[in-house]
Amino acid sequence: MYQEVKLELIFLLPIFLPFLTAIFLFLNKKLFNELITNFFTLNSALLSFAIAAYSFISLALDKFKPVNVELFQWISNPDISIGFTLDGLSGIMLILVTGLSFVIQLFSTSYMEEDENHCNYFVYFNFFVFSMLLLVMSSNFLVMFFGWELVGLSSYLLISFWSKKPAAAKAGNKAFVINRVGDFGFLIGLMIILNTFNTFDFYKILQNTSGIAESTITAISLFLLLGAFGKSAQFPLFSWLPDAMEGPTPASALIHAATMVTAGVFMLVRISPLLQHSKIASLLIIIFGLITALLAAFSAINQFDIKKVLAYSTISQLGFMFIAIGAGAYVAAIFHLVTHAFFKALLFLGAGAVIHSMHHEQDIRKMGGLRKKMPITASMMGIGTLAISGIPPLAGFWSKDEILASVFVNGGIYYVFWALALGAAFLTAFYMGRHWLLIFEKDNGFEHSDVAEAPKAMTRPLLLLGIFSIFIGFINTPFFHGLEKVLHVTLENVEVTHLPKGITLVVLAVLSIGAGFSGLIIAFLLFGMELHKRIDLKKFKLESPINLVKNLSSNVLYLNKFGNFFFVSGMKNLSRKVAVVVDGMLIDGSVNFVSTAFNKSSKITSTTQTGLVRNYVVYFGLFLLLLIALFIATPLVQR
Amino acid sequence: MVEALLFFAPASLIIIGALIVIFAKNPVHNAMGLVMTLVSLAIIYITLNATFVAMVQMLVYAGAVMTLFLFVIMMIGVDKKEQTTDSIKGQTFLVSGVFLILISLLAYVAISSDFKWDLWFPPVEFDAEGTPQLIAGALFTEWIFPFEIISLLLIVATAAAIALAYDTKKRNSNA
Amino acid sequence: MILRNEIVMLEVTTDWYLTLAAILFSIGFLGMMIRKNALIMFMCIELMLNAVNLTFISASKHFGQVDGQVFVFFVLVVAAAEVVVGLAIIVSIFRKQSSASVDVLNVSRG
Repeated sequence: MYQEVKLELIFLLPIFLPFLTAIFLFLNKKLFNELITNFFTLNSALLSFAIAAYSFISLALDKFKPVNVELFQWISNPDISIGFTLDGLSGIMLILVTGLSFVIQLFSTSYMEEDENHCNYFVYFNFFVFSMLLLVMSSNFLVMFFGWELVGLSSYLLISFWSKKPAAAKAGNKAFVINRVGDFGFLIGLMIILNTFNTFDFYKILQNTSGIAESTITAISLFLLLGAFGKSAQFPLFSWLPDAMEGPTPASALIHAATMVTAGVFMLVRISPLLQHSKIASLLIIIFGLITALLAAFSAINQFDIKKVLAYSTISQLGFMFIAIGAGAYVAAIFHLVTHAFFKALLFLGAGAVIHSMHHEQDIRKMGGLRKKMPITASMMGIGTLAISGIPPLAGFWSKDEILASVFVNGGIYYVFWALALGAAFLTAFYMGRHWLLIFEKDNGFEHSDVAEAPKAMTRPLLLLGIFSIFIGFINTPFFHGLEKVLHVTLENVEVTHLPKGITLVVLAVLSIGAGFSGLIIAFLLFGMELHKRIDLKKFKLESPINLVKNLSSNVLYLNKFGNFFFVSGMKNLSRKVAVVVDGMLIDGSVNFVSTAFNKSSKITSTTQTGLVRNYVVYFGLFLLLLIALFIATPLVQR
Repeated sequence: MVEALLFFAPASLIIIGALIVIFAKNPVHNAMGLVMTLVSLAIIYITLNATFVAMVQMLVYAGAVMTLFLFVIMMIGVDKKEQTTDSIKGQTFLVSGVFLILISLLAYVAISSDFKWDLWFPPVEFDAEGTPQLIAGALFTEWIFPFEIISLLLIVATAAAIALAYDTKKRNSNA
Repeated sequence: MILRNEIVMLEVTTDWYLTLAAILFSIGFLGMMIRKNALIMFMCIELMLNAVNLTFISASKHFGQVDGQVFVFFVLVVAAAEVVVGLAIIVSIFRKQSSASVDVLNVSRG
């Protein structure tokens, strides 16, 4: 018995180890220099990962039977308890988060070198890892919500890490405020859940879905969806993510690319038994996913900030995951989540290495021709670019192809969705190709004499992630359904959309490869060969449409401006009016009126208080006589 | 007739004395008017069978209290003339108003009751002679608790008077 | 009839004493209002207290009970105490402003 309990509890260690590390570093930040800080945080991360791997393997040996640990019951009715679970889904996330956390912390030790708040960075980082693990390992919505809010907090802390920069502080606020919109939806969803199911426990909820009205399930799904939209930066709540790039690049890699932003996807997969009962929610997810994927991909094609391109690409890829969920391909969504985590972390860390070598220059127009200076970074980012573009046999191909095929297999209106998603995939390949070429290939006439390859602490994580980006796709190919087996128990009651068989699959795969290749080739033609300078644009009257596209893209279809005008300025004006009218005139007015009325009336009455004894004697006599008169006037006395 | 004389003579003295108290300019005259009132009152008390109270009235009021008054008059001086015009704005008006109301109230009561006071109960024939014996009997049995409290009050008053009248400043400067 | 009425008129009843007390009280109160010397005001207070005493005594006679006289005794004691404290206050006021007029004292003005 004792033995069993001990084994069950071991997967709690990776959750709380980062928390303890964060506290430990926070308490000792004055004492520790960089070396000691790095030592502690890296060892803790490695230990977490090792235990996570051990837990996952023991889970796999147990055929992915979920392990539940209830720490304690908080309230018995409604049933609210603090508990954790280890099943296929959370196991994957556990490994992903701890693994990437280790790799990225390794990178950070070099990237954050000689930063004055070096130790604070790792405090926040560890705190984030703790929050994220709390989110993914929870066995009920309440703990998940704790994690959900805490990742928001740590994300805020890391975005505005360089809080002396006004832009960073502003971006942190923006992320926080926009996330609040989503969290509001999430919270309402939780309230409806508690009202309907009288518990927060995932298993109890997800096994009792049959008796619940579809409208309730739709309401729950839609409100939770709003939360997912906020956290995963989906249209229309996506504009915080590009701004969030003000934070340190490694933090962006972990939080705003690999893990936190996928929390929405994770949560939707977690509640997939609910989602499959609600056609509206699924349809909405796929539509918003498509809008996001296309919009973000379109916005990425004319960005010049090395990190913003990646940020829009992240939004776009998250859109793909939502498309997968909307199409019912939950396994594909998680699969894409995993592969994306690796290649996007790789791309971000590569970008970080470039920024580091370029002395914090982020404009890709000022780069170019860096391939010879930084061969390892260039080749690794090349792998990442190929992976995200969906070139076989790299990771992105398998997951993206699975999503596209799953959409296609649904039939009907989904053919249109498939075509649009294919377009988004094409755009992805195009802008990623442009990105890589502008940084590493095209000669922009800048002399980069002092630029050298990044230090080994940076290139090693890049190499590691590069290898993973190549091979991680093989965990769930059409020939080997590894991930499907892992998630089998978790998605027991869920109808997962399966891949088409035979020739259809091959045709679809060829088409998606084609989209990826053609995107890359066009990018190469335009930015590598500079084709557009050789042909006369005026002859084809293409100049103004191209400029229009460029403008629209760099301004994100003017959505930010629209949002600023409509929500920010509008609300500002409205609240100013409210402040003047309601607060200033109505509330303050009435309060002031009362006070001035009291003041004036008491001034009048205070003139009777002369302080002279003889006046008081007169008053006394006056009222004495009044009293006597009253007494006489009383009928009883009169008789 | 003797009874009436024994009432009207002291009564008129009482009123005259009271009028002297409020109208005389010299404080010594005021004090003498008060003495007259108090002594006449003592006579009235005797006619009302309250011999003990009459004696106490003579001793305490006409004796002790009036001596105290005269001491203070001597202390603060009698030469200072009081201002005849009232310095407080509207005081004369207020006083006359209050007095008018008082008079009209009295007139109303007197006229409406046909110059007869209605005391609700008829007087008893039994005469309780207020000898010291009788008063002491009531005072030390029924009223013992108020009596003790009143003694406490006297001690407090004495202490307070000393504390108030004691001139600390002068004392300190002398020392 | 008339003669008998005369006799009844001259009989001194409790009403007379009460009237006397009322007049005495009124005079005392009038003095309180018109005099500004604190000493005279105290004398007026004494007048009013004595008016009250007179009522007590006459009521005591009227009801044939000795309690009224006991109460007069109490009033006497309280009056003595009050005079003692009051005169002490007058003395200290006089020391401060070398005048016993109460009209100068308006520190408690609202």
